[in-house]
Amino acid sequence: MRILSTSVLLACAFASALAAADDSIDWLGDYRQALRQARETHKPLFVEFRCEA
Amino acid sequence: MDDVDAGLFERDWNNAVYFFALNAEEQIYFRYGGRDSASPDTYLDLHSLEAALAEGLAMQQRWLGGELKLPPRPQPFFAREIPLLVQRTFKQHACVECHLIGDFQNIQREQDGTLDKLAQLYRSPDIKTIGIYLDVPKGLVVKESRDAALAAGMRPGDRITALDGTGVLTFGDLQYRYDKVARRASQVRFTVEREGHPVELVLALPARWWWTDLRFRQSSVDPRLDFEDRPLTGDEKRKLGIPEDGFASQVKHVAELARALKTHDLRVGDVIAGVNGVERDDLANTAELYLKLRVRAGDSAMLDVIRDGQRIQMRLNTHILSFRK
Repeated sequence: MRILSTSVLLACAFASALAAADDSIDWLGDYRQALRQARETHKPLFVEFRCEA
Repeated sequence: MDDVDAGLFERDWNNAVYFFALNAEEQIYFRYGGRDSASPDTYLDLHSLEAALAEGLAMQQRWLGGELKLPPRPQPFFAREIPLLVQRTFKQHACVECHLIGDFQNIQREQDGTLDKLAQLYRSPDIKTIGIYLDVPKGLVVKESRDAALAAGMRPGDRITALDGTGVLTFGDLQYRYDKVARRASQVRFTVEREGHPVELVLALPARWWWTDLRFRQSSVDPRLDFEDRPLTGDEKRKLGIPEDGFASQVKHVAELARALKTHDLRVGDVIAGVNGVERDDLANTAELYLKLRVRAGDSAMLDVIRDGQRIQMRLNTHILSFRK
């Protein structure tokens, strides 16, 4: 069994990555921290769940 | 998943990868993920993901401008609210993995007598069963329609935009909503966009539209039978003198495990005419399906078997898949 990891990404960073074809994405690992940032910056969240069995 | 709100991020727990786009009030814009029994990747594609993300950003702007009304965030629910899961993970200092949430929810329900196998074991019915084949890189654009979808008027090029009145943006959204359709429903309503205009289509749901191959789920409440069967035709039932409206079926495959685990003594070609004295069921069209739905994993059943023209009673000992425990 592999361990689930949870990553949280702010959509603005992802949009920039799409526009600039940039391979680096600044994922966050703390959902509550990401939620606070989303509230402060008025940006949405993009949450990834990866479950490996 | 120990501290993750499984109520907010609720989904079919047997997905290997799954995404949510949501706002700071935890209202979900879209889900991206979903699968079929054949593969975890069937409906995943970077093109459709990119399109969904772009739409998600647009939704964010509309929400900030007060133009987008969304349902409130779902009620919180955490893995630690499942007592049996707590025993298996928290109390053993083990991680709460996604599939364990779904598995132990069902184990707990079965213990509590509340398990609804149709909805909670046979999750995420396959849209291909009703004839919907998607152009996956284009998200919810129909590539081909057959059967019920074709009969309802769905056409290639249609873009699915809602299911029973609830808007859907991605296959993840669609599969999540489709999973909520009552299993005894007789029809479902799709809204599609065709040449820029909305079109309502009502699809008649065929019998057992909810059935999927459960093997990839390795579910603990799925009784392991170690055989596969096929439904008998009306002619075959008449020749054997068994009810035509019954679920009698013929064994087409016997797993090697059947001998090792002493599950049963069935042979390919055997006809199972009844289970525990029951020959008919309003849902099952085969003995295998009857057992899956009506017998608890780990319990035994008596099979009424016809072999070489002779009727024999045979004990079936179902077992529970336990290697994940």
